[in-house]
Amino acid sequence: MRKLWLIAKREYLRRVKVKSFLFVTLGFPLLIVGVSAIAGLIATGGRDSRPLGYVDLSGVLDDGVLPALAEGRKAFSQIEAYPNADAARVALEEGLIQAYYVVPRDYLAEKEITLFYGEDQPRSATTRDFRDFIRGSLVAQQRPEVQETLSDGLAITIRSTDGRRVMSEGGVPSFLVPFVVAFFLFFAISSAGGYLLQAMTEEKENRTMEIIATSVSPGQLMSGKALGLIAVSLTQILVWVALLGAGLWIGGLFVEELRGIELPWDMLGVTVLYFVPTFALIAGMMIAIGGAVTEQQQGQQVAGILNMLFILPIFFLVLIFESPDSPFLVVLTLFPTTGFLTILLRWGLSSVPWWQMVLSWVLLSVSALGSIWVAARVFRIGMLQYGQRLSMRAIVEGVRERPASRERSVTRDREDVIHA
Amino acid sequence: MNATVSVSHLAKSFGRFQAVKDVSFEVYPGEIFGLLGPNGAGKTTSIRMMLDIFKPDAGSVTIFGGEMTEAKKNRIGYLPEERGLYQDLKLEPTLVYLATLKGLDESEARLRIADWLKRLDLYEHRAKKVQELSRGMHQKAQIITTLVHDPELIIVDEPFSGLDPVNTRLVKDIIEEQRQAGKAIVMSTHQMYQVEALCNRIVLIDKGVAVLYGEVGEIRRRFAGNAVVLEGQGDFEGLPGVLEVRRDNGSWHMALEAGVSAQDIFQALARRASVKVDRFEVAEPSLDDVFIRVVSEGQGESEEAARA
Repeated sequence: MRKLWLIAKREYLRRVKVKSFLFVTLGFPLLIVGVSAIAGLIATGGRDSRPLGYVDLSGVLDDGVLPALAEGRKAFSQIEAYPNADAARVALEEGLIQAYYVVPRDYLAEKEITLFYGEDQPRSATTRDFRDFIRGSLVAQQRPEVQETLSDGLAITIRSTDGRRVMSEGGVPSFLVPFVVAFFLFFAISSAGGYLLQAMTEEKENRTMEIIATSVSPGQLMSGKALGLIAVSLTQILVWVALLGAGLWIGGLFVEELRGIELPWDMLGVTVLYFVPTFALIAGMMIAIGGAVTEQQQGQQVAGILNMLFILPIFFLVLIFESPDSPFLVVLTLFPTTGFLTILLRWGLSSVPWWQMVLSWVLLSVSALGSIWVAARVFRIGMLQYGQRLSMRAIVEGVRERPASRERSVTRDREDVIHA
Repeated sequence: MNATVSVSHLAKSFGRFQAVKDVSFEVYPGEIFGLLGPNGAGKTTSIRMMLDIFKPDAGSVTIFGGEMTEAKKNRIGYLPEERGLYQDLKLEPTLVYLATLKGLDESEARLRIADWLKRLDLYEHRAKKVQELSRGMHQKAQIITTLVHDPELIIVDEPFSGLDPVNTRLVKDIIEEQRQAGKAIVMSTHQMYQVEALCNRIVLIDKGVAVLYGEVGEIRRRFAGNAVVLEGQGDFEGLPGVLEVRRDNGSWHMALEAGVSAQDIFQALARRASVKVDRFEVAEPSLDDVFIRVVSEGQGESEEAARA
């Protein structure tokens, strides 16, 4: 047990101490923040501060609603009325306004308006402000409660029949969190395979296998390495969750929409519960590959294909959005390699039934144990095969070999002697 | 005295190739036991079965009075033929890590490793990465890994390969020192002259079979008279009853067939007019001579020798 910890500790420290770990762990979220910030700047930046003109021939618009609309908005476009299209055109040509709308006489019947602009089309935020202005004017005659409902929409709460999950449609950003976590895990899983494979081929490439094999058991070696690497990945995820939390808090100070997003702790609990067996399953598969191949490069190719088995759900995102409880997704939920990501992705959109969660966790754990058991056997026969691949037959024989085979072959040997 | 290791009728095949067919021997505390044989004879495979790295197809291994267990691994020091340390790590932390895997705690491992590094002239290289070390230094570093946990059973596979004469001497001294401390030592090599002075007992393996097993002195006595050394001028090749002739430091060394005596050779030489003999003596056979004779005599006799 002590040796297992020693191996785990060494594996952990030598992964965490290198610069590339720091780079990936901190760099990856920074990259995401950076990309979103740039995208945000592009979307909101360069807003034309000049007013927006309009010519109302229908008499529908009521500029009395404008102060109420501008209130509670950071930047509401300045909207000015022009008596006729000619006056508005002159103002546009002189550069006094960025664009102007013409609301025709028959607007209520046709529901069409026309936008005139100079060189640049107004930003979507500007046109949205104008639409709000129209909407506000149209409902201005209604009672305040009706106005509110019409402008904010309905708040629908979806509750699963077992009462376990409650989702409110208003909290759109909250359901994004599972996706963010799922994507982080996607990266954790993809990098884990490479790490694990490297950890196994390292002993072969450095020719240290015999020293290690005469110091510890294959089981200790493999579980130690896997444990160290699980700790590395968990560290990475913890840092990411912490950064996400910090990011939401800091972002909330500036961006209203981020306020009130809570980290879904129940989901994070499920994440930890699934993470260990999923990682063990990956570990078992990678160790089996690492044991069967000689060089890392060789294994990397196989590992790439194996990784696909784990990240497959990402490719069905559209299906998950449209129909999170479709039979195909239930299959993906129950299938050991895809269960973890599928559950996380479904989490935000639907309620995953208990029986599916329990069954998929059991299937996952059983196959994880199975894969490690197979890996230990492949490792045992492959550990000293330098420079040559293990044949499929040797692997199958190694896996099927029972501990009793030693006695069996001794007996067979004696029989041979008797026959001779 | 109980044997530290006892292997009995080991056999192991890889596919169709039978690497080890029948190897048995015992090793006792306080002796250096030579595991000898040419390249590819099955020495390393035998060692790997002894250490439970390979499972034997047949036969059994008893180590410290029973089967191999994880706890027993701490009592064994092994210098594998495949030398290897983590190339991209620094020397001292690597040695400390490997020592802790043998059950030492870290502070104790540090102290002992510092002593060993000083003794083997590696102390000033302790912060270098392993890949920066020369082959000889690498080898010495692995000897530290083999011995640092003070094992009761020491197995060294080709311990002198890659070492200069000074370091060879140093390693020989260390091995002898371990023997005096009562350790059981198994030394595998194909350089038989290296073991003649060092080993108490040997087993000679050829093509996976133990062909000779016993005390070095006794074996030499048994094969005495089966080689002659002579000096002189002329052609000494092609004499009847001679298995092998080799030139050795100006003298001729002849290994003889079984049943051929030194007298027969002497007479044959006397009949050759073309040669002039300055010195003629019955050689104390080297293990090389013994080996050549045993192998050339074929399976039947060698099995008899193995039983002896």
